[in-house]
Amino acid sequence: MKKIRIKAKEKNGIVTVKAMIKHPMLSYIQAKKKHKKANFITYIVAKANGETVYEVSTSQFLSKNPYIKFQFKGAKKGDKIEITAKDLSGDTITTKAKIR
Amino acid sequence: MQRRNFFKVGAALVVAAVAPRMVMAEDFRKTKPKAWTIKNDEKSKKPSLEGTKEAIKQIFGTDKTIEGKINLRAPDIAENGAVVPITIKTKLPATQIAVFQSANPEATVAVFDVHKNSIPNYSIRIKMQKTGYVTVVAKADGKLYSTKKLVKVTIGGCGG
Repeated sequence: MKKIRIKAKEKNGIVTVKAMIKHPMLSYIQAKKKHKKANFITYIVAKANGETVYEVSTSQFLSKNPYIKFQFKGAKKGDKIEITAKDLSGDTITTKAKIR
Repeated sequence: MQRRNFFKVGAALVVAAVAPRMVMAEDFRKTKPKAWTIKNDEKSKKPSLEGTKEAIKQIFGTDKTIEGKINLRAPDIAENGAVVPITIKTKLPATQIAVFQSANPEATVAVFDVHKNSIPNYSIRIKMQKTGYVTVVAKADGKLYSTKKLVKVTIGGCGG
């Protein structure tokens, strides 16, 4: 998986994160048609200042190149956020970004 | 051979998970593998919620939910079933929020674990093969709340 694109902004104590992970997200049906192995992101987690702030188990039904948006508190501008994504094939990627 | 061991490990993990520790979202694939394979009735002409109810039972142990207290935003009509944007918001002290749909072969879409500093305001984009219901269930204060919305899909987006 390629680097995750992250935009994290803090306002009034709340950090809003928009992230996009490049991934074909091939469902079982789509994979069959393309004669490829099904592969899709199964887990995404985000941590800030050592605390988990976002965590989701996902299925083959998220759109290609998943775009996610979420919010959390407890961090300020300058802090780092770290997002990790895992897929069905076992591939993992972690990307860090600064909260602006 | 491997699959049987997989489920055995899963069962052991479920027992361990009952101990005072939150069942983490990542464990879902191991502790509740069945939740991800509950099927929707594809042959039915009208959107059916049977698959969704089964999946809710698999994940939360029951399918009894209280309607409301969750704000689910999804398009009334999705022109492109490959990208249906949905937003889930709630003020409930939810610890777990799960998303299901009735349009694809399997019912479960995603399960969020809400942490101490998480704010339950999630946006994701999902695939829908055809017109169907998107259902969101939130676990809060030991109760289950749910809300659903019918999304009409003009061009299916599941590779079908």
